[in-house]
Amino acid sequence: MGASNYLLSLLLLLPLLGAVVIALAPRANVGLQKTLGMAFSLATFALSLLLVTGFEPVAEMQFVERYDWIPAYGISFHLGIDGLSLWLVILTTFLTPVALLGSWSSIEQRVKEFNVFMLLLEVGMLGVFFALDLFVFYIFWEAMLIPMYFLIGIWGHGRRIYAAVKFFLYTMAGSVLMLVAFLVLYKETGAVGFGLAELLKRPVDPGLQFWLFLAFALAFAIKVPMFPFHTWLPDAHVEAPTAGSVILAGVLLKMGGYGFLRLAMPLFPQAALEMAPWIALLAVIGIVYGALVSLVQPDMKKLVAYSSVSHLGFVMLGVAAFSTTSVTGAVYQMLNHGISTGALFLMVGMLYDRRHTRDIAEFGGLKTVMPWFAALFLMVGLSSIAVPGFNGFVGEFLILVGSWRAFPGMVIAASLGVILAAAYVLWMIQRVLYGEVTNPKNEKLPDLSPRELAVLLPLVFLAVYMGIFSPQFTRTIEPSVAALVRDVRSAGAPAHNAAALPAAADAR
Amino acid sequence: MFAVDLRPLLPALIVAITALVVLLAQAFTPKGSRSPSMGLTVTGLAGALLLSLTMAADARYGRGATTGGTYVADDFALFFHVLLIGLALMATLLSPAYYRENGGERGEFYTLMLFSLVGMLGLVSTTEMISMFVALEIMSVALYALAGTRRDQIESQESALKYFVTGAFASAFLLFGMALLYGLAGSTQLARVARGVASASPEQVPLAVLGCGLLIVGFGFKVASVPFHMWTPDVYEGAPTTVTALMAAGVKAAAFGAFLRVFPGSLPALREEWVPALAALAAITMVIGNLGALAQSNLKRMLAFSSVAHAGYLMSGMVGQSEAAGQAVLFYLVAYGAVNMGTFGLLASLSKGGREPLSLQDVAGLGERRPALAAALTVFLISLTGVPISAGFVGKFYLFGAAVNAGYTSLAIVGVLMSVVSAFYYLRVVVAMYMREGEGEDAWAAPEASARLSLLVAVVVTLGLGVWPAPVLDLARAAALAL
Repeated sequence: MGASNYLLSLLLLLPLLGAVVIALAPRANVGLQKTLGMAFSLATFALSLLLVTGFEPVAEMQFVERYDWIPAYGISFHLGIDGLSLWLVILTTFLTPVALLGSWSSIEQRVKEFNVFMLLLEVGMLGVFFALDLFVFYIFWEAMLIPMYFLIGIWGHGRRIYAAVKFFLYTMAGSVLMLVAFLVLYKETGAVGFGLAELLKRPVDPGLQFWLFLAFALAFAIKVPMFPFHTWLPDAHVEAPTAGSVILAGVLLKMGGYGFLRLAMPLFPQAALEMAPWIALLAVIGIVYGALVSLVQPDMKKLVAYSSVSHLGFVMLGVAAFSTTSVTGAVYQMLNHGISTGALFLMVGMLYDRRHTRDIAEFGGLKTVMPWFAALFLMVGLSSIAVPGFNGFVGEFLILVGSWRAFPGMVIAASLGVILAAAYVLWMIQRVLYGEVTNPKNEKLPDLSPRELAVLLPLVFLAVYMGIFSPQFTRTIEPSVAALVRDVRSAGAPAHNAAALPAAADAR
Repeated sequence: MFAVDLRPLLPALIVAITALVVLLAQAFTPKGSRSPSMGLTVTGLAGALLLSLTMAADARYGRGATTGGTYVADDFALFFHVLLIGLALMATLLSPAYYRENGGERGEFYTLMLFSLVGMLGLVSTTEMISMFVALEIMSVALYALAGTRRDQIESQESALKYFVTGAFASAFLLFGMALLYGLAGSTQLARVARGVASASPEQVPLAVLGCGLLIVGFGFKVASVPFHMWTPDVYEGAPTTVTALMAAGVKAAAFGAFLRVFPGSLPALREEWVPALAALAAITMVIGNLGALAQSNLKRMLAFSSVAHAGYLMSGMVGQSEAAGQAVLFYLVAYGAVNMGTFGLLASLSKGGREPLSLQDVAGLGERRPALAAALTVFLISLTGVPISAGFVGKFYLFGAAVNAGYTSLAIVGVLMSVVSAFYYLRVVVAMYMREGEGEDAWAAPEASARLSLLVAVVVTLGLGVWPAPVLDLARAAALAL
């Protein structure tokens, strides 16, 4: 296997090297900086595909690497991926070049810094998905904030500074309590270091579990974001430049759900199962609330931003129901959301590049002016509202089916969100694409350029491909999810009433 | 026989001799020719640094106690030697340009700075209370004068006077506390005090507790903990910026060194009494320091309040068990020292024609005009906030870890929440540098080579300790074990 023993560290080093190289590149040569950014992100993507080909569909951690970091405290640089993280990693390496290409001509100032921050952000995101040590996880989790903060604050729109600072403070406030929880966990379990595998072997006192789970859940709920911790999201998404929104929606929001699955649930199984109904309730409120707010947005980017609250609500419902089916659906839905919402943000950005407005009322009848744009926008919209044949359907279907046994009432309420999603997306599409061209400014809009097509076609292709060939993906996700669900359920349920748990016998 | 092994004293002696040589050289330099002060100072400090490093690396050379057991060169003292001499070296490299732009280079600066360093070295090396007091005074008196070296400026004079008056108060408290402990133990040797306190009879305990309390007040003044912090903003603001850097980085480190020697080192018997007091002080120091910094528009005042807040973080580490506490505090002092020297040094090195960047408007647009300097300042501010990947994060991780391990989880919670508050005011500077346009012409100087070297060292230490903290953590642990 050779190189595959170092694949994960190579995947971290390559974009980091890219950032350094771009930082040293001559400032005047903007074209070189863009090309280097693209080259390094594409190379990272290509390298990450080796993970897919080398991945075995089993539950165990793979491509594991471990180096001593602070040996006196048992902290090691411990990396690995399993079915939970594999596709999120690919999503990250895929969306980074897409986002760079998407903002190829819309970022004109400080191109060098832009490319450096995008690549550093990629390192941070990959590190979070790779980390098998809590200390390492936290380092990447927090370090990721800095490039994102700059992306919003420097290249964002009107209220960018407010949005950037709000994003930073909100996320940091959530995660610092998790840091204290790490320290308490370390002390109470008497573990040597912060290795996840080591900590999982040491059960935590149920009373303490509740508080620690709460600290973790706060950090992750803000990141998801779950209602009522979502208020940073519309600001950050709307003010961020297109590339920032794509990465934010595509990858950063997944960290919350991933954190729940990777850390919070397995470390504190009893507390997690106890709190699951509350998480599900907040998730469903988020689904309906996000959809209702989307319905009344006059601004396309805000509409897409609020739709994320709704979509991520589905993910959290699947996580809370915690059956193999629902969690597999949640992981799948994270991928779908990354692709369809990423594409929506890119397309809204393309309209903005042309008209410098995102007001739905400013558009209308674009189908006749920009046929390619209209066709792709429709397809991305359909993927976002989970029409069968598209990726979104698979994810939402698995979540709803898998959650039925645990929370039938919530599933019914969530289905309302599916209908509302169809309403707000289709209504937006109708107002933007169809009818007469009412605004003379829209009459001469150029259709998609080859570069823009190159950005969108892979996304649309994936949206369809993942809708039809979903088993190719779920096959690798499922073993890890099944093992996770089994471990948490057996550790979380007191022996005497294990049989009474409704979802203990998972319906697969 | 009167044979004293002076080798443990050698680094401090070299510094003291350098101070005298610089003083004489200044007097004999003809008017108009270049002053050799800086070259001599750098040479002397480099020699002392090399010697300390050798002593630290080789356990056979120059270790042990001297002058009747009052002065020791152990792992703890040598750890501080390297840190303090390093900081003084950085301050020396930063100073000439600053003084040239703000009122003439003077030889006194070097002499006084070296004398204050002698005091700092003594403070961390002595194991006897009278010597400790003398060292503290050597350090402080030199600093009172240094704070006033910009004689043309009223703020500088105010700073010197305020520092002197409050410093004298602090010394009085410290001295009275020492006297009470002496009365109890019958000796000023810390080892004997420790034994005396441990075997104190029930009616003696109140005396010991009172002595402890007075010592906390005295050290509280020196490390700028709430409620003994009132002097900090005015003194930091008025003093010449490179002197402020030395105060924030060096004095705090030396004072915490003595604090550690006395409290966890010599008064473990009274842990039950002083740990809760220290924890309470740490909590209010973190809160008041950070909230105070929020309200500041002057960067030097903001950093002064941030220095108060950091005294709180350090004190919350001290409530831990002695070894873990000492290690965390020592590591954080290195991180904090490098960062503060870097931050103040960067502001100082930009000063031109009597002005230095003191407001957010002054640093606006720095990200575009001076990308390297703005990046360096961003690294320092990130470290002060305690965000990875920086020395500040690892440091805070261990400080709060020590507090949690000692059962003070609430203190860690206050600490991390206050770190979030601190993110707000540190970020304001980053926002100004990168997200606002600079107005008018770039009015700041280009830092000269020596200053750039100093800043580079600060950046390398800050990032280096964030990425690879293990070696320094191990050294800090070994040093803490020597207590």
